[in-house]
Amino acid sequence: MNRRYSVWLIVAVVGAVALGSGLYFGTRVRVPEAGLVAGADASALLGIALPDASGRQEALAQWKGKVLVVNFWATWCTPYREEMPEFVAAQNELGARGLQFVGIAIDDADKVRQYAAEIGLNYPALIGGYGSIELSRTLGNSVGALPFTVVVDRSGRIVHTQLGPLRDAKLRSILAQLL
Amino acid sequence: MALGPAAGWAQTDLLEPQRAFAFSARALDEKTLEAQFAIARGYYLYRDKLKFSVEPAALASVPTLPAGEIKDDEFFGRVQTYRTRLAVRLTLDAPTAGERVTIRAESQGCADAGVCYPPQVQTVTLTLPAAGKGGGPAIDATPPRKSWFN
Repeated sequence: MNRRYSVWLIVAVVGAVALGSGLYFGTRVRVPEAGLVAGADASALLGIALPDASGRQEALAQWKGKVLVVNFWATWCTPYREEMPEFVAAQNELGARGLQFVGIAIDDADKVRQYAAEIGLNYPALIGGYGSIELSRTLGNSVGALPFTVVVDRSGRIVHTQLGPLRDAKLRSILAQLL
Repeated sequence: MALGPAAGWAQTDLLEPQRAFAFSARALDEKTLEAQFAIARGYYLYRDKLKFSVEPAALASVPTLPAGEIKDDEFFGRVQTYRTRLAVRLTLDAPTAGERVTIRAESQGCADAGVCYPPQVQTVTLTLPAAGKGGGPAIDATPPRKSWFN
């Protein structure tokens, strides 16, 4: 077989194997928005405790039994400005039906306090370090970016994960199934 | 085709930050280095979040960053950003030929898709050339993948 054919044969075989395994060519990765960890046990998340902006420790386990929306965010990442006022509205409207938002900020307490006051934040804003980004990776945030949101049902199962802003229409359709 | 784990995944593709903002460096001559970011399409770096340092050799001066592209950020106001490629010259103070130096770049960027990455630090270690010997090859902080499987 001549050399040119050999090269093409190798390319074809490797390509077919890569496609068959569901891998992408090159360096692109897929982001699991929902599915990879959907249905997974949220106990790794519910087991943590973090300080709020005033330094008081809050354990996530205290919200077990509620529909929990945990939002990883930071003031240095502007997309949060779109989704958080919508979260405030949803918390206000649906809190009585068992909805609980919790924000985990990868940020300084001062900046979090300032923004919380600015938008009248009505749910806990916990302060996570970069360790919280690592936690979010285990929950499906494969590239460690923000914002990242996890929705946990009343039984403690993860029903949705979202990298990038979770906009109101999508949020409402998810919550409609759970509340 | 993959109907296993891929089914139910979103059609969103995002890069790991070290690949979205691929850092490399090379020696231009015995006392000048060039630090470079190759920025993937659809991603950008913030100019005011960039910091460069070299160890153990010190920089002779604070590196001059080129003017960025103005981004009218709804919340941050007018900020300068870089896309595609950013090259910065680093001039060393009293370098020693043959010395191993580590170039450290701190950066922070986002994707147009609506996500941001935490600040990241990338490093490249290279050997300074002797005077008059010219530069050296560019060295990647995150080497390209050797195959489709790693």
